[in-house]
Amino acid sequence: MRSYWLWIVFLIVSAPVAAQKDSLLQLEEVVVSATRQERRLGNVAIPVQLIQRKQIQQAGSMRLRDILQEQAGLQLVNGFGAGLQMQGLSPEHTLILIDGQPLVGRTSGVLDINRISVSGIKRIEIVKGPSSSLYGSEAMAGIINLITDNSVRNKGELSLRYGVADPNRHFGIPFGASSLQHTEVDGRASFQLGKWTIKQSNNYLYADAVSYRPMSQDRIARPINRFTHQTIVQTSIGTKMDLRWLARVNQDRFQQQFSVSNNGSITTSFGRELNTEWNIQPTLTYRVTPQLTLSSKAYWTNYTGDQQLRFSDRSDSLYQDQFAQRLARIENQAEIKRARHAVVLGFGLQAEQAHSTRYDAYDSKKENSVRYGFAQWEIKLNEKWISTIGARFDHHRLYAAALTPKWAIRYQPNTRLVVKASVGQGFKAPDFRQLFLNFTNTAAGGYSVIGSVDAIRVINNLEQQGLIADRKPDYSKLSLLRPEFSTGYNAEIHYRFSASVETKFSLFRNDINSLIDVRQVATRIDGTQLFSYLNVNKAFTQGVEFGFQWQVRSRWMISSGYQYLETGDKEERRRIGDQQEYIRDASGASRLMKISEYVGLPNRSKHQAQLKISYEKTPEQFINLRLLYRSRWTVANSNGNSSYDRSDEFASGFLLLNMSAGFSLTSFLHVQTGIENLLNYKDLFYQPTLQPRTVFVQLRCMLWSQKIKTDSSL
Amino acid sequence: MRIISFLIASVLLLTACTKDSIPTPVDTRRFDVAVTGNITTVRNLPADTIIGFNAIGQPVGTGRYSFFSLERGQWVPNSDSNTNRWDLAFAGTVIRVNNLTSGPGSGGAFVYSGTFESLASVPADSVFRLDNHPVSYAIPRGSGRAWYTYDGPTNLLTTIPGRVLVIRTATGKFAKLEMLNYYRGGQTPSASAPDSIKYGDQRFLHFRYTFQSNGTARFE
Repeated sequence: MRSYWLWIVFLIVSAPVAAQKDSLLQLEEVVVSATRQERRLGNVAIPVQLIQRKQIQQAGSMRLRDILQEQAGLQLVNGFGAGLQMQGLSPEHTLILIDGQPLVGRTSGVLDINRISVSGIKRIEIVKGPSSSLYGSEAMAGIINLITDNSVRNKGELSLRYGVADPNRHFGIPFGASSLQHTEVDGRASFQLGKWTIKQSNNYLYADAVSYRPMSQDRIARPINRFTHQTIVQTSIGTKMDLRWLARVNQDRFQQQFSVSNNGSITTSFGRELNTEWNIQPTLTYRVTPQLTLSSKAYWTNYTGDQQLRFSDRSDSLYQDQFAQRLARIENQAEIKRARHAVVLGFGLQAEQAHSTRYDAYDSKKENSVRYGFAQWEIKLNEKWISTIGARFDHHRLYAAALTPKWAIRYQPNTRLVVKASVGQGFKAPDFRQLFLNFTNTAAGGYSVIGSVDAIRVINNLEQQGLIADRKPDYSKLSLLRPEFSTGYNAEIHYRFSASVETKFSLFRNDINSLIDVRQVATRIDGTQLFSYLNVNKAFTQGVEFGFQWQVRSRWMISSGYQYLETGDKEERRRIGDQQEYIRDASGASRLMKISEYVGLPNRSKHQAQLKISYEKTPEQFINLRLLYRSRWTVANSNGNSSYDRSDEFASGFLLLNMSAGFSLTSFLHVQTGIENLLNYKDLFYQPTLQPRTVFVQLRCMLWSQKIKTDSSL
Repeated sequence: MRIISFLIASVLLLTACTKDSIPTPVDTRRFDVAVTGNITTVRNLPADTIIGFNAIGQPVGTGRYSFFSLERGQWVPNSDSNTNRWDLAFAGTVIRVNNLTSGPGSGGAFVYSGTFESLASVPADSVFRLDNHPVSYAIPRGSGRAWYTYDGPTNLLTTIPGRVLVIRTATGKFAKLEMLNYYRGGQTPSASAPDSIKYGDQRFLHFRYTFQSNGTARFE
């Protein structure tokens, strides 16, 4: 009990300290993601990046997308919402967690981070590099862990944000005809009822979202309503047990209407989309002795997505796309802390099911279950060296088991220098889409994608009906999908030149084997292509990350980050080396492609940089300027060969400038205002959802705030 | 370099197109032929260009082929379709050879992977495929199968580099041919181009070929 309360007091006390001095190292901060137990960052061998509440608040946004966009080394990719690309790996390879439990409801592997509100989130922890040794499938590139507030404080806070933009003018006018407006209301409260603490946060966002119809420059009205509700109830049973209950509900509602003029006739269609997600997470923690803590956690989550599209002139034209996913898990964990050793042991059971109109039938339930166990041992060799070794074993009902080890080491010879290195394995199990999809697109030339479980049976059936024209060489490779595996290497050097100047330099490399890709396996006699999923690709990503921070004077600070990224498909590189890949020269004639013309995996920018200049008097009185840059990236293989090269189609690089300022009207009323996308960068085609220059005002009111009297257990 | 310009009879216009999404119909057909050494380059050969849309919104042309003689480097009138005067017939992505279901000649074709220059002669063990209209063709249709890929989301057709069509002509001689581009002007529109350009400028073929007039299998 004592150590637990000490931690909480430490958190409360350390918060204002951190506010005065933000450090890249943040050695005194407590993190949980690296080891699945609360540890001081200074004692952890695995690199963790922290985004604190203050930083979230000063950005003036409640959306996870806006927060993560400003982090060097994270790229946002369009398509199926905003996906997160970490260390050059696609969005399906990053796990997004809330208090250590995974969020579900991905579309084509992408978890849309627009949908996540950071209301009620105390801090965000980012672990880059394979983390499957603790978190299992999907933690291949790393994890983003949203940590909910667990402070004990009677507090009530209300904030209101209004923003306006206009794609046709320099600045939007409130309630103007072509204005795009958004309003966000956010309320947070915590109460103390005897031994119970109840924390409530609610967020509602209405936005005239900007979106463009694909392949055209017509803007379509796409009002979005997002609602997030989060409740945390926590209490202690006796002196040794804590019970905590987290419940979260999230709902997104979109509407859209657009007209297509075809051969002189105008067809209007209406669409609506409703996505609902909820999750419940009860946790029981039992501190048996100061050295031994046991915890049990249950987790249920449910995601449903429902999309409908209808043409105005045809009542029978309803197109409906439904998807439902449910996940339940029970997890038990033991933490043992000794002077020089820290051990975490855990095991769990997970059941998952999904329905979709894109599978063979909506009524047929797809199921999978996983049993897993993990262990991690951290040893403090001496004052300078800390080593962590761990592994996790996942046994899936549907496919081969996975063992993912990780080893990390930390060396701190003095107070200025910290060196960390790690090597680990990541894996991603095939998802339901890759196993069970049965989708035919009749438009656009016509094609079908069939999940690997049914592909052979479906093609044999078609063959018996005489409908198959030919089978592709990849047909013979169809088999039960295996998980994707990767090996990741990370090294990081922190150096503190003086009390005010710090740098961070890191290197990473990921080698991915048996990457799952969609390939054509057969052709129907009408020319329709049939695709399925195969473990075919071997790819790599590697890069350099650099961070710099300079506290110019007591109130001025300059910080900057940069990532250089290289990626490649090993098979494509081999084909170029074997002189099997061609490209056209200026005259249009084909010639062999050179390796120097190869640009790697699509959708990756080579350079990404971020610069922040800020002045801060208090956390509420500040002004900052944030500059984000991303270099060009390939969007389509447009020159007919089978790899991405310099003559393919690129989206141009861009610069975003955001600024915000805050001041206090009274001790309890704070105002924040700012301009996002000040340079008004637009790319209607490749970044249709990028907001034009937006001016916002936010009012934040502390309704009440009162520190809880510490009880006798302190 | 010798340039011959052909002026081709105007095409019957089926519909009076009104809206901006409908491409401007081609009323005269014009293409260029340039000869450099033993390579003949054909540009902007209309191959049943789009003149409108059918009831379900699919683009349609007149359905007539552009017949071409590799030997003479000339367009062949449709009235000669049942003769040995033509070697290839083009309509959109369909390329027909003069044999069996397509014509009275002894034509044939197959697809070779490699550069145009690297193909010095027709390999001795080559098997020439024949048309079986409308089920299959000597030069297969379909994205990624013979000489082009088609991307549905962007509605763009791209010729595949490193693919050579090896042709046996109507009279049994050999030619090698590389498709260069599918769009007017020889430039594939960008993905962000409007549909009016993507439809209006497609089916204008660009290709280069070497014809072996002495009947041997060597291209020199």
